[in-house]
Amino acid sequence: MSWPRTVLALLVAPLFADRLTAADDPKAVEFFEAKIRPVLVEKCYKCHSEKAAKADKLRGGLLLDTVAGWQKGGDTGKAIVPGKPAEGTFLKSLRHEGEIQMPPDGKLPAAVVADFEKWIKDGAVDPRTDTTTTVKAAGLDLEKGRQFWSLQSPKPQTVPTNAEQSSIDRFVRAKWDEKGLRPVPQADLRTLVRRVTFDLTGLPPTPEEVEAFVADQSPKAWEKLINRLLKSPRYGERWGRYWLDVARYAEDQAHTFGVTPKKNAYLYRDWVIQAFNDDMPYDQFVRLQVAGDLMAEPKDDLFKRLAGMGFLGLGAEYYKNTAREQAIAEELDDRVDTLTRGFLGLTVSCARCHDHKFDPIPTRDYYSIAGIYYGSNLTQSPLAKPDELKKYNDAQAKVTAAEELVNHFLGDAGKAAAKEAAALTAKYLEAAHKIRTAKARPQEFVSKDGLNRYFLDRWVKFLDPANASKAPAVFKDWFALKADAKPEEVGTAAAAVQSKLVSVDVPDIVPVKNKKSAGKTSDPLTKAMFLDATAPLFVAPADAEKMFVTADVKPKLAELRGEVEKQKKASPVAPLTAHIVSGGEQGMKVYIRGNPATKGEDAPKGFLQVLSKTDAKPAAKPFTRLDLANAIASPDNPLTARVIVNRVWAWHFGRGLVNTPSNFGSLGDRPSHPELLDHLAVEFVKNGSSLKWLHKQILLTNVYRLAAEPNADNNKTDGGNVYLWRGTRKRLDVEAWRDSLLGVSGNLDETLGGPTFDLRDANAKRRTVYAKISRHELDGLLRLFDFPDANVTADRRNVTTVPQQQLFALNSEFMIAQAKAFANRLEKLGKTDADRVTAAYHLAFNRPPEAKERELAVAFLKMPAKPSDTLTRWQQYAQALLASNEFLYVD
Amino acid sequence: MNFQMPFTRRELLARTGTGLGALGLASLLAQDATAEAASPLAPKVAHFPAKAKHVIHLFMNGGPSQVDTFDPKPALKKFHGQQPTTAGLKTERKTGGLYQSPFAFKKCGKSGIEVSEIFPEIGKCIDDICVIRSMHTNIPNHEPGLLLMTCGNTQPIRPSMGSWLLYGLGTENQNLPGFVVLCPGKPVVGPALWNNSFLPGVYQGCHIANLDPKRVIDHIRNKNLTPETQREQLDLLNGLNKMHADKRAGDDQLDARIQSLEMAFRMQTEATDAFDVSKEATKTREEYGKGYFADACLTARRLVERGVRMVQVFYGSGQPWDDHGDIEKGHRTKAADSDKAVAALLRDLKRSGLLEETLVLWGGEFGRTPTSEGSNGRDHNHHGFSVFLAGGGVKGGMAYGSTDEFGFSAVEKKVHVHDLHATILHQMGINHEKLTYRYSGRDFRLTDVHGVVVKDILA
Repeated sequence: MSWPRTVLALLVAPLFADRLTAADDPKAVEFFEAKIRPVLVEKCYKCHSEKAAKADKLRGGLLLDTVAGWQKGGDTGKAIVPGKPAEGTFLKSLRHEGEIQMPPDGKLPAAVVADFEKWIKDGAVDPRTDTTTTVKAAGLDLEKGRQFWSLQSPKPQTVPTNAEQSSIDRFVRAKWDEKGLRPVPQADLRTLVRRVTFDLTGLPPTPEEVEAFVADQSPKAWEKLINRLLKSPRYGERWGRYWLDVARYAEDQAHTFGVTPKKNAYLYRDWVIQAFNDDMPYDQFVRLQVAGDLMAEPKDDLFKRLAGMGFLGLGAEYYKNTAREQAIAEELDDRVDTLTRGFLGLTVSCARCHDHKFDPIPTRDYYSIAGIYYGSNLTQSPLAKPDELKKYNDAQAKVTAAEELVNHFLGDAGKAAAKEAAALTAKYLEAAHKIRTAKARPQEFVSKDGLNRYFLDRWVKFLDPANASKAPAVFKDWFALKADAKPEEVGTAAAAVQSKLVSVDVPDIVPVKNKKSAGKTSDPLTKAMFLDATAPLFVAPADAEKMFVTADVKPKLAELRGEVEKQKKASPVAPLTAHIVSGGEQGMKVYIRGNPATKGEDAPKGFLQVLSKTDAKPAAKPFTRLDLANAIASPDNPLTARVIVNRVWAWHFGRGLVNTPSNFGSLGDRPSHPELLDHLAVEFVKNGSSLKWLHKQILLTNVYRLAAEPNADNNKTDGGNVYLWRGTRKRLDVEAWRDSLLGVSGNLDETLGGPTFDLRDANAKRRTVYAKISRHELDGLLRLFDFPDANVTADRRNVTTVPQQQLFALNSEFMIAQAKAFANRLEKLGKTDADRVTAAYHLAFNRPPEAKERELAVAFLKMPAKPSDTLTRWQQYAQALLASNEFLYVD
Repeated sequence: MNFQMPFTRRELLARTGTGLGALGLASLLAQDATAEAASPLAPKVAHFPAKAKHVIHLFMNGGPSQVDTFDPKPALKKFHGQQPTTAGLKTERKTGGLYQSPFAFKKCGKSGIEVSEIFPEIGKCIDDICVIRSMHTNIPNHEPGLLLMTCGNTQPIRPSMGSWLLYGLGTENQNLPGFVVLCPGKPVVGPALWNNSFLPGVYQGCHIANLDPKRVIDHIRNKNLTPETQREQLDLLNGLNKMHADKRAGDDQLDARIQSLEMAFRMQTEATDAFDVSKEATKTREEYGKGYFADACLTARRLVERGVRMVQVFYGSGQPWDDHGDIEKGHRTKAADSDKAVAALLRDLKRSGLLEETLVLWGGEFGRTPTSEGSNGRDHNHHGFSVFLAGGGVKGGMAYGSTDEFGFSAVEKKVHVHDLHATILHQMGINHEKLTYRYSGRDFRLTDVHGVVVKDILA
C-alpha cells in the first residue's frame, strides 16, 4: 500500500576494498563475533533490522543487521564511522549522551559499551555479508503523484442526456441507470417544506408557512420557498455552524495552565455567520481567514477584513514551560492540520514525521507550510481605523494621567502620615513590645501616646520574632531582646533603632515619573521600612484615603476624581479586538521524525509542491502567508472548489460525493459521482464561488425531493444509498433539536450575534450556535448529542444513541421548561383537547394528527392527575411530543 | 437490514483499522441488527482471550515520591546532603543535595518486598502486588505527565485509555456508563484526561464529582413525576414512537431510540443503586475507612462488579501528591488517608474473586527527585518512578525493574508509560498495535508508534 517510491538498492562496492583488508584480520572478526554481534542481535535487531522494517517496526530509519545499514546511517545521520568513536550517533546513544538513549529498556553495562568503542576504534570490522534492499526510499515521485484524481484540475463535463431536467439530476440518473437502481417516489409537500426548512435554517417551518406552501399551485412554489429561506438570517446561523465544526471553533484551550479564554472569540463565529448570510464568495472567505490582515480590501470594514482570522487565531495554545519547542511544534501542527484538511481535504499533518505514506506530500512540504507560521503569535487586533484608534488611545492616556494625579495626591497624604509616624518610631517599638510580651491592648497606646492604630498594627506584625531573620540589620539588637527584658533595655534598643532611621528619607510611596528617588529606591532599609508590602510605614493609596485624607483637603480629592470621570466620559468606547494570528513567518528546517531537537534540511516557506506548477521558477521573494491564502483560493487549485462543493453536498444529503470530506487523498473515499463533482466544482467557480448559488442547484433537483423510504430491490445493490435513489432520514443535530424545542414551545429568542451564553442555564433561550464552546470542558448537552471535540477539525458528526440522551429528554429542567411552555401555548390554540392536539401536531410535526393519534392523546389526557406529580397531564403530553422520534428525526 | 443505521456500522468499520475491523466485526455480525448490536457500547469480542475485564486506576495525581513509597534507597541516608553522581539530570526546578527518606521501609509479605511505613495496609497486600520500580515518562510537568499517563500523548488531543477500552471492548452493563471517573473536583488539566477526542462522544469518561447516588449522573432523577406516572408517560411516548416507526419500516435508528428510552428508564433506578455505598455492610465500610477517596474506592468495586469497563479514581482535585515542600508531612497525611482504602479494595476484590478479572493500577503521573527542593521537599521527576499493578493476570509479590542507587533514574528493565499502556491493553485482550481508529488520514493508537508489553510481569 505504499505510494510509488523508487526503491534504492544500495551498492557499496567502493567501500568494500578498504573493509576487506580489515575483515581479513581473524582476531578482529573473532572480536566482532564474540563481543559485538550477540549484543546487536539481542538488543538492537528488534527495531533495527530488515525483519523489523518488514514488520513496520524499524525505528529511526537505522538498520544494524547489515554493513550497508550502519554505513548508511539513520534519520539523524551516520551511525558508525570506522576508526572514529567520537563520530556517529551509535556510540553516543549507547552512552546516553544525547537525545537518543539506547537500548530503550536500559543502558548497557559499561564493559559492553567499552567493547563497542574498541570495535569502532579498530575499524568496525564487520564480516556480515548480507545485503539490504530496504535501506531507504528515495523520496516521493511528485510527477506520478499529480496523476491522482483529486490533484488533477476538475474538467468541464458533458452533461448526460436523459429524461431529467437539471444537470445534477441527469448525472444522478445516469448512475441509477448504470447501477440498475430505480428511485423511490417524491416526498409529499409537507415533508418537503419541513425537510428544506430544517436543512437551510435548522428550525421547523411554522404551520402558516407550511399551509402557504401546500396551497401554492405555482410551478415556482418550490423555488420561491428556497429563495425565502436563503434570505433568512437563520440560514447563516445554520450553515455557519457547519463551517465552525471544520474550523474547530472554541473560546478557550483544552488545558488551563497559563492560558486565558479568548473573550472575543464570538466575533469569529459572527463573522462566519455573516459571511454565509451575505453569500461572501468562497475564495474571499478563504483568503480572509488565512490572511485578512495582509489584504488591502475591504479597507474600511475592519470586522469583515480581520475577524475571520479567528480561524487560526483561536487555535491551540499549549503549555510551554519545559518542552517549549515541542509545544510550539504541536501548535504549528494544529494550524497546518486545520488549514490543509479544512480547505484542501489533504492530511498534510501525516507528513510531519516522515514523508506522507500514501499521498505525494514530502515532509519538507509540511515544514514549508509550518514555517509560514513559525514564530507567529496568537494576538488581538483592534477593529478600529488608525485615526479612531489614535483618538481612543489619546483619550485613555488622559484618563491615566488624571488617575495618576489622584494616586499622587493619596501618596502624598500617606507619605506625610508615614513621616510623622517615623518620628515616633521608638514609641511604636516600645508599644509593640508590650503588646506582644504583656498582652497589652493596642488601643491603650492610641489614646495614651497618640500613636496611630494603623501603623501600630503594622509594627506589631513587622516585629514578630518569626521575622527576625528577614529584618534589616538595624533591628538586630531589638530582636535580641528577651521577652522579659527590663523597660530600660527596651527603651534603649527602641531609641537606637529610631536614631538609625532618622537618616532615612521618607520616599514617595507612589512612584513619580522622571523622579529618581521615588518608589524605586535601591536602598534596602528604605524599602523595608516604607515600601515593601510588609513595611511598617507603608501606606497604600486606598489606606491613605481611608485614614489620612483630612476633611480640609477632601474637596481637592473630589475635584481630581471628577477629572478622572470627565476624561473617562470623554473617551470613545474601547474598540472590539479580533483574535488573529500574526507575525512570525520565520521559516523552518525539517524536524527529523518530527523531533524539534533533530533538525534536517531547510524547508523554504512555500506551498505543497504537488499543487505547484512544475515549471515555476524559484521565487524572487520569500513566500508569505498572503501567498499561501492565494494559493489555496486560486481557481487553479484542483482541490479547493471540489472540497467545499462536496462539503455542502454532504451537509445537504448526509453523505458526500466523496464520503471523506476532509480527506481527498488516496486513503480517502473515491467519488461516487466523479463527473458530477467536477461539473459542480467548475460551475461553482464560474458562478462567483457563490454558496447560495450552489444550494439552489442542489435543492432545485428531483433527487433532493425523493421520499426517505426503502426499496427492497435497491437495498440489495445499494443499501447505503450511495447513488441517492431515496431521501435520507436525518437525526437533528443538537443545535437544531434544542432550537426547535425552543421554537415549537414559543420560547426562542431570535437575537443575532454577540457574546456567548452558557447552556447550563436551563432558562437560556437563544439559538445554540451562540452557546459557549469550550475545549477544556465541552458542555454536557453538546457532548451527549455528538457535538465534535473542538480541539480538532471535524468534517461530520457522529450519530450515537445512548440512554443518557434520553435521560435529558425525560428529566432535564430544560425539557420540562419547554414542555410547560408548549402546553401553555396549546391551551390558547383550542377549546377542546382534540383541537389542541391538532394544533400541537401542526406546530411540532407540520401535519394534522391521524385519528388514532388523536385518540391516544385524548385517552392519556383524560387520565386523572395524581396529587404527588407536579406536571399536569397536558404538560406530560407536551413533553412526550417534544421527546418523540418524529420531533428528532426529519424525513 | 441495512437501512439507515445511527452511527452506521458500516462507517464504524470503515473507520477502524484492519485489526479492530475484526474485533468490531465479530460482535456485530454475531447478532442481528437489534438495538443492542447497534449500540456502539455493546460488548465486543477481544483480539484474544482476556485475562482482565475491568481496569481500576487509582491515580495518585501530583506524583508520589518513589523513594518514600515503593523504592527504598539506603544510599540516600549514606550520602544525605551530597550532590548525586547523576547530577545534570534535569527536572522542572533546580534541586539541592540528596535527601534521605524520612520514612522507614519494612519487608512485607512472603515475598519480602520492602514498602514504606506509611503504607502498612498496602504492605500487607504486597503478595498480590507487582511493583514496577523502573517507570519513566517524558516531561517533568503535571500537564504533559498527566496527559501521557491517561491518553498516551503529552498534548490534549488524543482519546484517553478508558475511551479506547470502551471503543475496543464496549461495556457489559448498558444501564451504567462504561467508563467512570471519580474525582471530587477537577485534577489539573481536567476533562481532557478522560476525553474521547476524535473517538465518538459515547466513549467519553463520565466524570462524577459528587458521590451522592441521586446526583451522580446528569438528569438521573425525575423531580416531577412519580415512577408510576413516568411509566404512563413513557408508555404514551412509546405509543407515539411506535406509530411513527410503523410507517417507516426497517429503520433501525428509530427502534434503537425506542430501546434507549427504556434503558434510560431502568437506569434511573439501577445507576442510583450502583453508586449507593450506604447499601454496603457496616463492616465493609469500616474496612475502607472514611472520606471521599475511601467511598470512591468502594464505589469502584460496586461498579466493576456491575460490569463497568474502567473506573479511574483520582486521589483528589488539583495535584494533591505534589509535595514540593515538606515531603514528610505531605506524604504521611495522604498515605494515612488512602492506605486503608486501597488495601480494602484489593482484599475486597480478592474475596469475591473479582481481582482475577480486574486490573488495579496505582500510581502518579511521574515520581519525585531523590534530591531536595527547598529544605524538605522534592521536585517532579520523570526519569524514574514507581507504580504498582494488582490482579488481572499480573504476578503478585513481584518487584520489577530498578532505578539507580539513589532512585533518580530508571536503569534496569525500564518501563515507559507506553509500555504500561500496552501491557494493560494486553491483559484486556487487546493487541495495542491493532486497536486503531482511522482519523485525519491515519490510524491512531493509544500507544502511538511505541509500547512493548512487559511480559515478565504477567502470571
